[in-house]
Amino acid sequence: MKISEISGRITAILVLAVISAMLILTVYGEKEDFSVSENRELASFPVFSVSALVDGSYGKQLESYITDHFYRREKWVSAQARIESSVCEKIVNGVYVNDEMLLDAEISSRQVRQKNIDSINTFFRNYNGTLYFTAVPTSSGVYTEMLPEYLLTNPEKKQINFLYEGLSDDIRKIDTYNILRMLNNNYIYYRNDSRITSYGAYYIYRTVIQKLGFQSLSYNKYTIRHVTSDFRGNLYSRCLYDKTKSDILDVYSYPGGAEVTSCTAYKNNGITYRKTLNDEKFLSGGDMYRMYIGEEEPFIRIKTSVNNNKKLLLIKDSYADCFIQFLIQHYSEIAVISPEDMAKPLSNFINPDNYEQTLFLFGINSMDNENLFDLLNS
Amino acid sequence: MTYSSLLFIYGFLPVSLLIYRITPTRFRNISLFLMSGVFYTLNSLLSLIFMLVCTFVNYFSGLFIYKFRSKKILSAVSLAVGIIFDLLMFLTFRTDVLNDLREIFGISETFFPVGISFLILTAIGYLIDIYRKRMKPEFDLLKFALYMMFFPKMFIIVRYRTFYRMLNNQKITLADTGRGFTIFFKGLVKKVIAGDTMYMLYTAVESIDIWKMSFFNAWLGMTAYLLCLYFVLSGITDMGIGIGYCFGFRFPQSFNYPVFSTKMRDFAYNWHIQVIYWFRRYVTKPLSELVKNRLYRKIVFIFAWSMIGLWYRFDLNGLLWGFLIGLMVTLEKYLIKFRLLKVTGIIYTYVITIICTVFLSGKDIKDSFNYLLVMLGGNKIFADSITLYLLKYYIVILLLSMYFSTGLFRNMLTRSGKTRLKDVNSVLSPVITVILLVLCTILISYSGSTEILLLKL
Repeated sequence: MKISEISGRITAILVLAVISAMLILTVYGEKEDFSVSENRELASFPVFSVSALVDGSYGKQLESYITDHFYRREKWVSAQARIESSVCEKIVNGVYVNDEMLLDAEISSRQVRQKNIDSINTFFRNYNGTLYFTAVPTSSGVYTEMLPEYLLTNPEKKQINFLYEGLSDDIRKIDTYNILRMLNNNYIYYRNDSRITSYGAYYIYRTVIQKLGFQSLSYNKYTIRHVTSDFRGNLYSRCLYDKTKSDILDVYSYPGGAEVTSCTAYKNNGITYRKTLNDEKFLSGGDMYRMYIGEEEPFIRIKTSVNNNKKLLLIKDSYADCFIQFLIQHYSEIAVISPEDMAKPLSNFINPDNYEQTLFLFGINSMDNENLFDLLNS
Repeated sequence: MTYSSLLFIYGFLPVSLLIYRITPTRFRNISLFLMSGVFYTLNSLLSLIFMLVCTFVNYFSGLFIYKFRSKKILSAVSLAVGIIFDLLMFLTFRTDVLNDLREIFGISETFFPVGISFLILTAIGYLIDIYRKRMKPEFDLLKFALYMMFFPKMFIIVRYRTFYRMLNNQKITLADTGRGFTIFFKGLVKKVIAGDTMYMLYTAVESIDIWKMSFFNAWLGMTAYLLCLYFVLSGITDMGIGIGYCFGFRFPQSFNYPVFSTKMRDFAYNWHIQVIYWFRRYVTKPLSELVKNRLYRKIVFIFAWSMIGLWYRFDLNGLLWGFLIGLMVTLEKYLIKFRLLKVTGIIYTYVITIICTVFLSGKDIKDSFNYLLVMLGGNKIFADSITLYLLKYYIVILLLSMYFSTGLFRNMLTRSGKTRLKDVNSVLSPVITVILLVLCTILISYSGSTEILLLKL
């Protein structure tokens, strides 16, 4: 027999062995519904229906099912990140991979949607109090020097300026970009997440609270607890690149200051329940970032022991989660609205006019979501 | 489902091979047909229906052409009906000109039957061959359906007679399956490593503002695009050929290392051979027979290449790409009287193909001309920091891609017949194939598949 004949046979047997082994392990392996490291629900086995077959979604769902439950998926994906970042450009699944820090490489593809600007202006026209707006850059917007030049065709500074220029003149815009840029030698952003750390949030708080009419509390009066040093955030979830050091989550408390007297969450279906802020049970699995304000809910009402009758309406995305802890010393009530989680119009939850101040606090990347404020005004 | 997906490699391929192996010989065709049906259904039921309709129309069109072979007009009408139907399908799905037709049938805009361009050429070629009495039609609907729908043949064009011979001599050996795997994973690597990386490089360059782009970046970007196009197209054909081998079908090669040729002529004849051959057989030759004049024949040649351009991309850009290549191949003989050295020949061909490629890649004509201007140094910047950055990270893969896009590696193997390098290659090939399999799995593990084609073919 010729060598090529034998080698062909060996190839066939080897490849078939590997493929069938993986197929069997995938089919009979343990299935999980949620991936902790990727922080997302994994695809479930597709339900058969003729319409899904006709438009091809059945095949796609089957494909995601196999992909999500592929045997030892996480190992494969993190191998992908290691290989791609070592032989080629350091961009893996849209994340700029670096041992020092992961950064979102897709900043320039995002833009501030005019529809969102219009919604905020409409909200402001119908509102009787004072409106403040804070747009927070993502880590890629602050650490631009670490990214290759060609990715910066639409820098976040420009996006924030565009947003602020589009907002009505009477909305008080609060700049955080320059402060964060100045402080970028500090641990103000997570290494594995695009969001600000509590430390970064403290500096945002210092600026914002003065605009809102208060004196900020000085940093050394806080007691800071490192609740975990194993946090891996949204950028890690996209590439599973594990050579970057994991992050620390901090909780700031103010000994002898005001305390939260009640914290109630309102679900879209009308159910309410009590919440605990900074609940460390979230550190034991799943998305650790939830530690700050718990499960995402459209509306959370926080009442504190502050006796000044001041009420704040905070409309926000997850960038504000670690920011809320600083507001507790200043307001007797804080209403936290998360438009991303709203399934019903805002008026079903609260009447904004009951609050003399409203603060919008968003990561600039959220402004790319065209449907973000769909339920704000209707 | 595409070839380059986990579902295909770890699900569909082994299962279908197993089913095929245990099917008794007389049911093998029907099992191949059913498997192809499942393959297309996993894309969407609509694409299966589309394939079946195309199969039926062309099958009966072929029968009628043959039936009326003595009545010239009726036979021509049958041919025309078939071809018009095929072209309508091509125009409906590849272009926007027939959007109304889509609406009438209520087909959503997102639906695209992948491989339609290859299917249409296959069908038209079949009908013309019957009309010109080069062969009889296939009376067995099952066999004809396999000719149209056999899933490894999705991106491959072979004449019916060739396919018929393979279909009737299905002999599947373990060694062939092994060879098939080697070819398949080689194709997958071409697509996933070379093709996708070159695409990243191209998009990196493309994201630079055109009036700030340096001369070097412009050339780098277009080189990346050309290599990407080559590796993606030859990669998917290799994958198809590989799967064919696993089932005992030996489809011919489609690319013969065209990218760094020494003459435009070599580029034109080694690029996507099956497609170029189709146009030569069914467009250039019949038209050339009509005209005797040499000049007219040249025009026919350029016309055919323009058609090829349109086949790749149905707009002015595609037309210009094909036209320019056809024109350059024709002019080459007159322009270059002296013998080119190998090196200068490669540089000359490279420059011309890159310039042509600008049209294939650009968004529109204006965009392409702007890009050309930059490639000629219009921005007066030779290189910049982006150039250094891109070279730093891409140079290894770029050089490797360039090396493997030439025949140098293959030549090294074939010329060294006595040094037993070939045997070494044979011995190593099982290990290499498994390594490639693991590597590709790693690289597609995040998304589960990679977008199969650069162009919508």
